[in-house]
Amino acid sequence: TPRKDIVPHITERRTPCKTPAKVLEHARARLHVSAVPDSLPCREHEFDDIYTFVRSKILDGTGGCMYISGVPGTGKTATVTEVMSFLRKEVEEDEDFPEFTLVEINGMKLTEPHQAFVQILKNLTGQKATAEHASQLLEKYFTSAAGRKQPIVLLVDELDLLWTRKQGVLYSIFDWPSRPKARLIVLAIANTMDLPERIMMNRISSRLGLTRMTFQPYTFKQLQSIVQSRLEGLQAFEPDAIQLAARKVAAVSGDARRALDICRRATELAETTKPTGKSKGPLVGMKHVDAALTEMFSSPKIVAMRQASRHEQIFLRAIATEFKMSGLEEGSFEKVLIQHISICRLEGLHPPVVSEVAAVCSRLASCRLILLESGTNELKQRIRLNVSQDDVTYALRDHSE
Amino acid sequence: MTRQFPQKCNDIATRAEEFKMEDVSLVASDTEDVTSRILCREKQMAMLYSLMGEPSQPTCPSVFIYGHGATGKTLVVSTLLKAASLPHAFVNCIECQTSRQLLDSILDQVANHKPHPENNYSSLNRCENMNTFVRLLKKTIEERGIENQTVYIVLDKAERLRNMDGNLLPAFLNLSQLSGCNVCVFLLSQIVWEKFLFGFGSNHFEPFIIHFPDYTKSELLEIIASDCPKGYSAEFYSSYVNLLMSIFYMVCRDLNEIRHLAQLNFPKYVEPITKGEASEKDSHKLWRHIEPHLKKALQTVYLREVTSEQWEKYQRDEISQTGQSSILPSSSRTQIELPFYSKYLLIAAYLASYNPARYDRRFFSKNSGKVKKSAVNRKKETSHQLLGPRAFPLDRLMAIFYSIVDSRVAPTANIFSQISSLVTLQLLAQVGHEDQLDTPKYKCTVSLEFIRSIARTVSFDVIRYLYDFVK
Repeated sequence: TPRKDIVPHITERRTPCKTPAKVLEHARARLHVSAVPDSLPCREHEFDDIYTFVRSKILDGTGGCMYISGVPGTGKTATVTEVMSFLRKEVEEDEDFPEFTLVEINGMKLTEPHQAFVQILKNLTGQKATAEHASQLLEKYFTSAAGRKQPIVLLVDELDLLWTRKQGVLYSIFDWPSRPKARLIVLAIANTMDLPERIMMNRISSRLGLTRMTFQPYTFKQLQSIVQSRLEGLQAFEPDAIQLAARKVAAVSGDARRALDICRRATELAETTKPTGKSKGPLVGMKHVDAALTEMFSSPKIVAMRQASRHEQIFLRAIATEFKMSGLEEGSFEKVLIQHISICRLEGLHPPVVSEVAAVCSRLASCRLILLESGTNELKQRIRLNVSQDDVTYALRDHSE
Repeated sequence: MTRQFPQKCNDIATRAEEFKMEDVSLVASDTEDVTSRILCREKQMAMLYSLMGEPSQPTCPSVFIYGHGATGKTLVVSTLLKAASLPHAFVNCIECQTSRQLLDSILDQVANHKPHPENNYSSLNRCENMNTFVRLLKKTIEERGIENQTVYIVLDKAERLRNMDGNLLPAFLNLSQLSGCNVCVFLLSQIVWEKFLFGFGSNHFEPFIIHFPDYTKSELLEIIASDCPKGYSAEFYSSYVNLLMSIFYMVCRDLNEIRHLAQLNFPKYVEPITKGEASEKDSHKLWRHIEPHLKKALQTVYLREVTSEQWEKYQRDEISQTGQSSILPSSSRTQIELPFYSKYLLIAAYLASYNPARYDRRFFSKNSGKVKKSAVNRKKETSHQLLGPRAFPLDRLMAIFYSIVDSRVAPTANIFSQISSLVTLQLLAQVGHEDQLDTPKYKCTVSLEFIRSIARTVSFDVIRYLYDFVK
């Protein structure tokens, strides 16, 4: 059947990966987000907490839940995975430490919340079943301990996506550990701190218990040490450059991935610029990091407005004028059209016809510089700006000079 | 994102104008008779020809053709494609309720597959979405061995595409790029391109736009005069069409409509000649004979109050009977047989809808009291007949009903069920559906003519009670 050729796939790699030769290439390879180091710096405290929690539960032979929250890029998943691999190592080394089973599911990878049951059952027993049947089997599995000795650690990433109207999936996941024979430890990871209070019913959040952990966003010092730990033994960065990147990222989000991305981009920029005579090697400096930062943080909207065609710019100005005149943040297409034509007359341009202005309007709307309401009530179409009026005047004034 | 071809478009347009007929005559000889058959569309056809080019040449990915009804859009495109026997699919979007029907029928036509009893009226492929369509289109074209020819897809009534799946119209505009085949999509519509534009973004190829303008008076004359009935000279028929147009051109420029009327009224026009009262030369006599007839036709046949069949029958046996009023136009047949109290209920509803509530006491109260002579300094109000009916509560309807009915009527279930059956007959309309039982509000949706005829049957003078007429 021709079904095969509609399944998307990545073309296979023909040539092997390049092994990094130069210093900057080394640095880039290490700064890649996928190159997770063996031990995570600046998360020792959280590591200890999770480790003791899981370890004590395993040793006691009881079950329990832990809720882990924090904004993206604070190392939640990496820390939990590290704890698991550490425990795994302990099982191998220590004779007395009991074996345990690890089950991982990710809410983002499931097509539908109820598929979580299917995934868990498949990981536990290798059995395949429909979602409904799987939930029944798991229910039985966790109530009776027949033929099962190992404790189970269930790791649920992106918990908020498992939310359903009846919240059956969340309820089951947090209800199983409280069964006397289940010996199940649930580690739930999500982005928001107040998720249990916001979306879960009381009977679920009470089962979740009070064992919560919040990953704070990284401070600039932590970000700096993360980048430095990755670049240990490599002479690629000026220390001030790392500090600049760390400070900027910490001010906005405290996202470690973002900091690594910026540093990587800065090394790329440093590679392309020709090394000047007096510096001994290509070193990533402040100016490279600064360029990378402006590339990532600057708004493309102003650039888009500056590069827009003349009539598009006049249309934006017409919107701003219309808003100024009416005092509202919204105007109809016909009013803006009248402004547009009068601006054209003032500038000595030939005033366009309605269809041309409509084309201009729809083009601006498709790159989201303005917002149109859905529906096709042409002349009565309401128009709003998606950028601030000051940005419009700033971008367009600059350009005309 | 958007690719426009302003340069190329201008180019083609000027070229088309320059060559006009020469360009047409350059194309293969079998298409020559086609061009002569379609009148008054030389410029548009020349433009289409130059756009289409040779079958092997790549064409514009999409062409948008718009113009009013009956301007020859469908005719021109379909005859061009058929005459040159190019591979094409012609689909009317109104016929396709779902996108699957649309896509299936396009694929069938491209593959030259016709659903018939032997294959159980099934189509060749099952094509649910655009993704499959693009894949199957490529396969179909390869199987038929027409990779190096342009395949044309014509979508008539293309405005319907806007209400189908959101990705359908952009995908059709980009079809040649998506499929990698030499495909050209014609979109035929009565509305302008801007109305398509606001529906979706502009991440698509801008189609090449061709406008089919309305036929002028002389063009209409030329086209209609071309189908002259046998036995009469062309001049005679065209003078008849000229007379017809002098009556109808003011209100109607639709070719189909005028053509239909010309056909319908021609027997009447030639009646004096067949009777031997006049000859073909007596144009003045013929005009006097036909003019009142055509004016009558304008009020009856044109509005479809009298069907064409009735009109023809009337013309045939008019000789025996004279009265034109023997045919009842359907609008004057608005008499509906209603029960006695239903009539009064309807009258009461009409009065409640078109009278302001504050004058109810003056009209309906037994001791109406003194009406102040303040009519002079009353502001000029807009007539309530113009503003349309207003909603009124059930209580007010019943109060007016009791005051206009002379006898004592018990408020039985029968009376109330008559109100709800008036609603089902759509003579009344219920406004706001929040509470059905508590205080329902109604509107009266019948015309003044209708209510007067109803009131006449119960000998009740409505006009005396209507605020607009009394003041």
